[in-house]
Amino acid sequence: MDALTGHLGEFGHGLVTTVHMTVVTTIGALLLGVIVATLRICPVPLLRGVGTVYVEVLQNLPLLALLVLFVFALPTIGITFPLFTSAAIVISAYEGAYLAEAIRAGINTVGVGQAEAARAIGLTFSQSLRYVILPQGLRAVIQPMGTICIALLMNTSLAAAVGVVELTQAANNVNLVEAQPIAVFTGAGLAYMLLALLISRITGALERRFAIVR
Amino acid sequence: MNPNQQILFDVPGPRAQRRIRIATVLGALAILGGIAWAVHQFASHGELAAERWQPFTTWPIWRYLLDALWATLLAAAATAVLSGALGLLLALGRLSAHRPLRWLAGAYVEVFRTVPALLLVYITLFALPKYGLNFPLFWKLVVPLVVSNAAAFAEIFRAGIKALDRGQTEAGLAIGLRRGQVMRLVVLPQALLRLTPSLVSQLVGLLKDTSLGFVVSYTELLYSGQVLASYTHLLIQTFLVVALIYLVVNASLSKLARVLQARNGRLTTRGRSAAREPAATPLTPGSTAR
Amino acid sequence: MSILSRNVTRRRALTIAATAVTVALAATGCGDGGSAPALPGAAGGDKAAQSVFDAAPVASDAEIPAGSTMDKIRKRGYLTVGGSLDAPLLSQQNPVTGEIEGFDADMAKLLAKYIIGKPEVKTVTIGTQTREAMLQAKEVDAVFQTYTITPQRATQVAFAGPYLTSGLAVAVRKDETSIKSVKDLAGKTVIVGANTPAVTALPEAAPGSKQVAFATDPQAVQALLQKRGDAYVQDFTLLASNAKSNPGMKVVGEPFTTEAYGIGLNHEDTEFKEFVNNWLRKIQADGTWAKVWQNTLGSVVEGGTPTPPAIGSVEGS
Repeated sequence: MDALTGHLGEFGHGLVTTVHMTVVTTIGALLLGVIVATLRICPVPLLRGVGTVYVEVLQNLPLLALLVLFVFALPTIGITFPLFTSAAIVISAYEGAYLAEAIRAGINTVGVGQAEAARAIGLTFSQSLRYVILPQGLRAVIQPMGTICIALLMNTSLAAAVGVVELTQAANNVNLVEAQPIAVFTGAGLAYMLLALLISRITGALERRFAIVR
Repeated sequence: MNPNQQILFDVPGPRAQRRIRIATVLGALAILGGIAWAVHQFASHGELAAERWQPFTTWPIWRYLLDALWATLLAAAATAVLSGALGLLLALGRLSAHRPLRWLAGAYVEVFRTVPALLLVYITLFALPKYGLNFPLFWKLVVPLVVSNAAAFAEIFRAGIKALDRGQTEAGLAIGLRRGQVMRLVVLPQALLRLTPSLVSQLVGLLKDTSLGFVVSYTELLYSGQVLASYTHLLIQTFLVVALIYLVVNASLSKLARVLQARNGRLTTRGRSAAREPAATPLTPGSTAR
Repeated sequence: MSILSRNVTRRRALTIAATAVTVALAATGCGDGGSAPALPGAAGGDKAAQSVFDAAPVASDAEIPAGSTMDKIRKRGYLTVGGSLDAPLLSQQNPVTGEIEGFDADMAKLLAKYIIGKPEVKTVTIGTQTREAMLQAKEVDAVFQTYTITPQRATQVAFAGPYLTSGLAVAVRKDETSIKSVKDLAGKTVIVGANTPAVTALPEAAPGSKQVAFATDPQAVQALLQKRGDAYVQDFTLLASNAKSNPGMKVVGEPFTTEAYGIGLNHEDTEFKEFVNNWLRKIQADGTWAKVWQNTLGSVVEGGTPTPPAIGSVEGS
């Protein structure tokens, strides 16, 4: 247990970074998810194509490969971001693809009558999405979106590979000194579980708050 | 496509169509220009130089990568079969009429949905051997992946079964089938058909999860890519090649799923008479829960 | 599982033949001949290593009592070793042959030869997070992985050796002039390899430096060249090898730490530790150690072959 209590500073720092990264990327992924889901159902074929390619490519590549390519290949074409920013962008983009698919599924659950009604009262494509379809569609998929956010939390641990010292890397660093892998990684694992539980609770509360009683 | 999509905007008129065409051409040109610029920059840094790609034209390097791909596929296949079966049992458990069974299955799913797969790998690696449970290398990767993916599969199956019209179950019971028979003969075949996309996306996710193999010393594709990069000193090229392999394999999987889905879709509509909801929503809410 | 079979030395003869063929193919295949820099360490180094194994000593039966760990390994027919596949010059898998090459890998094969009579090694790749657990669970017989001997680690595992001393050094970009040694690193951003000794050594040697860790050595090199940090701190042999294949970087100053690497063994198995230490003394005395060093690390480090470290000379060993 000394391995844990003697290094609370390192763990705390890692935990803060993990939470920071999770919050930032969740917001980014939500924005991207809505945009890409919209692209995939919009009237312009090119934009639909862009949306499809985006989802296909990002869902089919391992996150670690994307991180390494973004951090090391992009500078060779003259674009360099700081490491935390790079990791945040890549994880947002990656989870954004999953969120886009969840949101698209949510849009599909909205009754056809809603869309017809929206069009009948003269709303345009973007207006009917914004005021009618998305508010209902997003509510329908709060739970799956929560699942994706939990996956996102787990995936922030991969940022360690490109120089971000978050919880997993902090645990690794402590283990390097203490050589107590079981204590160190169980501690880190419990922290992840608690964070995941928190996300689960938040999405549960949101779901109850916004659920549509039909 | 789906019904909302056709309703959300009118079929574009001649002017709108012209505008869309012009915008499409301009947009496409912009995208192509961006790609050309990126390739040019990439080349001007010497990353396209022939000798940097030469190793990837040799058979031994490809044999190495293909061996690694095979290891990845093997682990993914074992995980898929086992976690699929376990997930189905768990889903049935959660929907069962027996309260303790429901509770157990529910607890399993809730716990293992929130534990990172990496942590489960660590537990199999560090903790279980202390209690005399020491799996061979391959299973050290597959067992934790099965445990965590089974929870995800259970959620997918449950969503699919619940999404099916209650009338199906009621009709089955009405003609005198027992509960188990209704599930086996009526509900599951239909639910599984509709779930194909979600199941495949879970499968792709699981294939990528096998990259955790490096923790337990299982040399799968991504780890072998790292070994190759350190041997050749060609980090960017190696990762591009490895990424391409993943993309091709996973995209073919998804493509296969769509083909299967389309064929099954035709079968079911023909079987059921086209009058009944021809464009049933293909995606259930649980579909992207990985 | 079958996936590991390519690590087993049994296929050496076959793979050497395969290398010869591929080298021939590569030579005819690419027109500009020797200019392809990508694949270092071809058949030549392999042959040198083979001759060392052929000449290496084998333990007498008296040294291997029945029921001991050595006896079990001899009966099993191969030594299970925990190591890396991606540490150039130390323990790097050659993707062409499937063989693992380098100082650590050769030492492991020599130990196998000493116990079994043949350099039969099954390598299990392990990470820094898993090696204590692997040794405690007896998943591996020994760990050869630049495993720095420390008192904390010695409470978990037993260390034979040290079998190699090395040190951390500083590398910078070619055009860098302000950094001449580790003392100049204060206030600078310094790249290290994640889970390497540098992570803990750097804050002590250069207080006030900012640390960025990358997962693998190629990533760290790329990061240095792309100016993600001002310097890269790593084992100096590894840096020397990188500087050799990469004109964009150079090593500055002398190594600033002394890392004593030990062979990780099961904590309870004092008999095996004694046996491995005796073997180390033997190969140091008969010149085998020096030959392995020359074949691997010696190919990039200038100056003569160093004196091998004294066994048991470090706290924790």
